Amino acid sequence: MIQLEHLSKEYNGVRAVNDLTVEIPDGEIFGLLGPNGSGKSTAILMLVGLIEPTSGRCLINGLDVARDPITVKQQIGYMPEDVGFYPTLSAKENLTYFGKLYGMDTRTCIKRCNELLPLVGLDGVIKDIGGYSKGMRQRLGLAKALLNDPSVIILDEPTANLDPQGVADYRTIIRNVAREGKTVVVSSHILEEVSKVSTSIGILSAGTLVAQGSWKDLARDHSIHASSHVTIHVETQDPMPEFHHPDLIHIDYERDRHGAVLVTRSDLRDDIADYLAQNGVRLRGLFREERSLEETFLSYYQVAG
Amino acid sequence: MAGNRLFTIAQKEFFDHVKCRKFLLIFGILLVVAIVGMIGGITEYNKNLDSYNQHQSTIASPLSSYMAEKPSILSVFSSVATYLMFVGGILGIAMGFDLVSKEKESKSLKILLSHPVYRDEVINGKALGGIAALAGALFIVLFIALATLLIYGIVPDGNELILITVFATVSFLLIFSYFAIALFMSTAMDESGSALIYTIIIFIVLSVLVPTLGSTTVTELVIGNPPELPRELIDQMQHSANASEGSGITVTFASKGNNGAWDEFGEKMQAYSEKRQMVYSTLALFSPTMNYDAITSAVTQQYSSRATVIGSRASTTTSAAFSVGTSGDVRLEDHLYPIIASMIALLLFPTVFFGLAYMRFMRLDVR
Repeated sequence: MIQLEHLSKEYNGVRAVNDLTVEIPDGEIFGLLGPNGSGKSTAILMLVGLIEPTSGRCLINGLDVARDPITVKQQIGYMPEDVGFYPTLSAKENLTYFGKLYGMDTRTCIKRCNELLPLVGLDGVIKDIGGYSKGMRQRLGLAKALLNDPSVIILDEPTANLDPQGVADYRTIIRNVAREGKTVVVSSHILEEVSKVSTSIGILSAGTLVAQGSWKDLARDHSIHASSHVTIHVETQDPMPEFHHPDLIHIDYERDRHGAVLVTRSDLRDDIADYLAQNGVRLRGLFREERSLEETFLSYYQVAG
Repeated sequence: MAGNRLFTIAQKEFFDHVKCRKFLLIFGILLVVAIVGMIGGITEYNKNLDSYNQHQSTIASPLSSYMAEKPSILSVFSSVATYLMFVGGILGIAMGFDLVSKEKESKSLKILLSHPVYRDEVINGKALGGIAALAGALFIVLFIALATLLIYGIVPDGNELILITVFATVSFLLIFSYFAIALFMSTAMDESGSALIYTIIIFIVLSVLVPTLGSTTVTELVIGNPPELPRELIDQMQHSANASEGSGITVTFASKGNNGAWDEFGEKMQAYSEKRQMVYSTLALFSPTMNYDAITSAVTQQYSSRATVIGSRASTTTSAAFSVGTSGDVRLEDHLYPIIASMIALLLFPTVFFGLAYMRFMRLDVR
């Protein structure tokens, strides 16, 4: 369980994160979505205990990150966006070193390495990290995040450098660990990536959480409540009479009046159907223009902006 | 558990150092110069010893026995100290300048600090690993130096072994001072290149500029010229010299001690020397190199007459040297007492810079 309570962070008078409050239950894959510079990484760094919040607090499994950092860090696995390792050491040596910092003995570290390196597709790679590609480092970063078998896994832009196979492997791993009851936080600006794995999302824009909930709920809620305009397409077999309604903003009739595009303040499809029926106009089609996932979430950013 | 984490970090840092090419290269240079210095020192020592033995076998008067000093085994380390002053400083800088900045550049610091470790464990572990590698390197150098002594059949006694230990300790403190400066720069800078440049600038200031300021010319600019010998005394000296030419008797400076004018001049000269000594000592507090020079000069040149060093950069050792020269009895405390201030300063330097590095690292913003 992760709780962020009124979390804020200021850098030289500029608010990077503003009053962020989120609760993520166990077993959830939470996607923290937002454009570049929206405060995702800052929020993650506060969650991991690498920077101190200006105000508010982060709780992981009921423990305050700022007050009990060592116990909290024992329970989390973290992979930063720009994952860095010791270039003169091999993958196993890097993981063994970090494992020892978790209090693991050498034998346990080696055992975990033997489990995790094949899982992330780095089995049999013996060269030093200095010779790794960015994608390979990211794979190793995922292995490192899982090294201590954490109950909370925090991943910042986890697929930024991965090839398609790496992305597929990553998704499988993340879904599997969530099935084990672990909480996963995935921060990304790539909508598709978050949508493929997360069970719930939070949208950050300019440091403020503008929406939170399940993927479908957010899309629906935004279409109904957040947007000020609804676009409705009408096709008729007979010429359309003039349509009037207080919520109608604009209407464009076709030349032969066998159709129209309406921009309204609310979903007027039922009203339109009733009106046409009352006027003896046979309806051929009536549909509301659906927006793509990208458009929906872009509008969230625009609303916040 | 906390001890384990500290040990884990220190162990990694230690092996990083000893496997690092730059460390091995500078350590190799240090070994070569130490061996070369030792062999040169031993040759010189043997020459001086032969000369002393020859002098002892032909001893004729108490005056001549004063003039011939038995050379010290410690004098062998004199040239090693000169090399260590430079190469040791470089070694300390090379080991410290990228300790933290390298982790910032490779982004491994973020990963490291996301683990259950306190920041003080990280910085202490890094320092401990570095200290262990430095101590190991210095131990090997001194072990080889001692072995070279024994190979040449020179066996130090108990007191000399203590002084060799003092020499080793201050050598370590010198290298650690520059290591601590480099470590501080490494925490203060985001890039290793900048950390190195700033550390080298500080190294030049402390090892070249400050000693230059303490040199005779600059000191005289601050405190003025030394008192001039009064005309009557010059005349008196010339007269005495003319008188002694025919008699074959050597007239020494000390023989004029009962003359009032000489006493007055002596007092003025003494006051001037003390003033200059104070300026030098104050400057020396800001330079590990000067402190090291003062200490090693006292340790390695203990038996030689130091009348010539009055006014020179190694003048802190004068009193110790004179106490040996006049009594002929070597007491350890006589050598250590005048250098206590330098030793404290040399100890303070790494402490202050490590403290600064520690504070900077604790407040480091990891983004």
